[in-house]
Amino acid sequence: MRVPILKQGDVLIASIQAALSDQELLNFREALAEQVGAYRARGVVIDVTALDVLDSFATRTLRDVAHAARLRGAKTVVVGIQPEVAFAMVQLGLALESVPTALDLEEGMALLTSGRTGDGGDAG
Amino acid sequence: MAAQQGQVFLDELEIDEAEVDRRKEFLEFGPADEEALETLNELARKYADPVIEDLYRHFLAFDETKAFFRDPRVLTRVKGLQKEYFLRLTQGDYGADYVANRLRIGTVHESINLAPKWYLGGYNFYLRAVASRVFEAFGKTPEKALSVFQSLMKLVFMDIGLAVDTYIFARESTMRKQQEAIQELSTPVLQIRERLLLLPIIGIIDSQRARLITESLLQAIRANRAKVVVMDITGVGTIDSKVANHLIQTVSAAKLMGASVIVTGLSAEVAQALVSLGIALEKLNTVGDLQGGIEEAERLLGYRVSRLPAPASDTRSA
Repeated sequence: MRVPILKQGDVLIASIQAALSDQELLNFREALAEQVGAYRARGVVIDVTALDVLDSFATRTLRDVAHAARLRGAKTVVVGIQPEVAFAMVQLGLALESVPTALDLEEGMALLTSGRTGDGGDAG
Repeated sequence: MAAQQGQVFLDELEIDEAEVDRRKEFLEFGPADEEALETLNELARKYADPVIEDLYRHFLAFDETKAFFRDPRVLTRVKGLQKEYFLRLTQGDYGADYVANRLRIGTVHESINLAPKWYLGGYNFYLRAVASRVFEAFGKTPEKALSVFQSLMKLVFMDIGLAVDTYIFARESTMRKQQEAIQELSTPVLQIRERLLLLPIIGIIDSQRARLITESLLQAIRANRAKVVVMDITGVGTIDSKVANHLIQTVSAAKLMGASVIVTGLSAEVAQALVSLGIALEKLNTVGDLQGGIEEAERLLGYRVSRLPAPASDTRSA
């Protein structure tokens, strides 16, 4: 399935609704990198609220998406990681490294519009 | 009612028919033994009273066991029960009811705090008293006496096994209850301001507890929409590399949910231990004490705490 990417002001919102296959993740990465340029987005929010598992490939792809978007000029926030998912990720040693995270979409938008950079980065 | 209680114990101890059969198999206790024991019944009736009198004379000769029989009425009642028990050994039908009854006896002994050493010692006395009488009765055929006595030994050892199980079970359930109590106490997550949580950790952190702490913290972050968490470890006596890793995992997981964690209350010893263990602490945002941690958290959340000017009534009256 395709991940819908919505435009809200100068922010793109991508909401992942179901577990994605590896190929779908790669398609998503490509589509997002394209659209950041096309819409001249300044920020990206990737919402994973609906996911109840994030494996190592998904984690790495999210990280790559964020880095690619960053290079295209848009700061990326991952939002909505569930408690169980967060716990499993640290147990497996998976990390999003420098990618900022926020509780939910609202918080993610606030983080992007506040203009404070590195908010998530220096906390961890 | 009483039988039912025994049944419950059978379940809790996970002793069922199959388990009883298996135990008998291991003791090589079979139909031949049951028959042999039943032939002893008549003898048992004859000797029950003198054997029991001897046994209680022995118990009363030691302060530790005497303490259980201060009340003469208790002594009479217990002797009656003991006689029942003694005769039951030679009455056949050693199935589920028998086992339930034995477990109940074990439970009673445990509940009055009769230590296993006295219980086992008493049993040994019993066996010796019975042995000499059995050999006496079978005078001319000692090999018959021996075989009957061995059958009795098998049954008695099954009884002892069951009694010891009830002792262990009782201790274990006490321990389980205490552990549950500790766990319930162990992980409070408190909201002290909007979007600010306090997580005081006291005592020893092991893997299981670290997991509970992390889980309840993550749930609380979501429930309270927390942005900053102050984790105070003043009450944690020692930290080894394992515990430090647990803490780092908790911090990382909270960060994934968009909450930053401030760790406070690292004592001088803990700080030195962590440094000498060479644990990467760059991931931890630490502040000396709880007050400093809360102040830092307020700063992150954009609060400014200031003292109110002196109350107006005071200035007027002055």
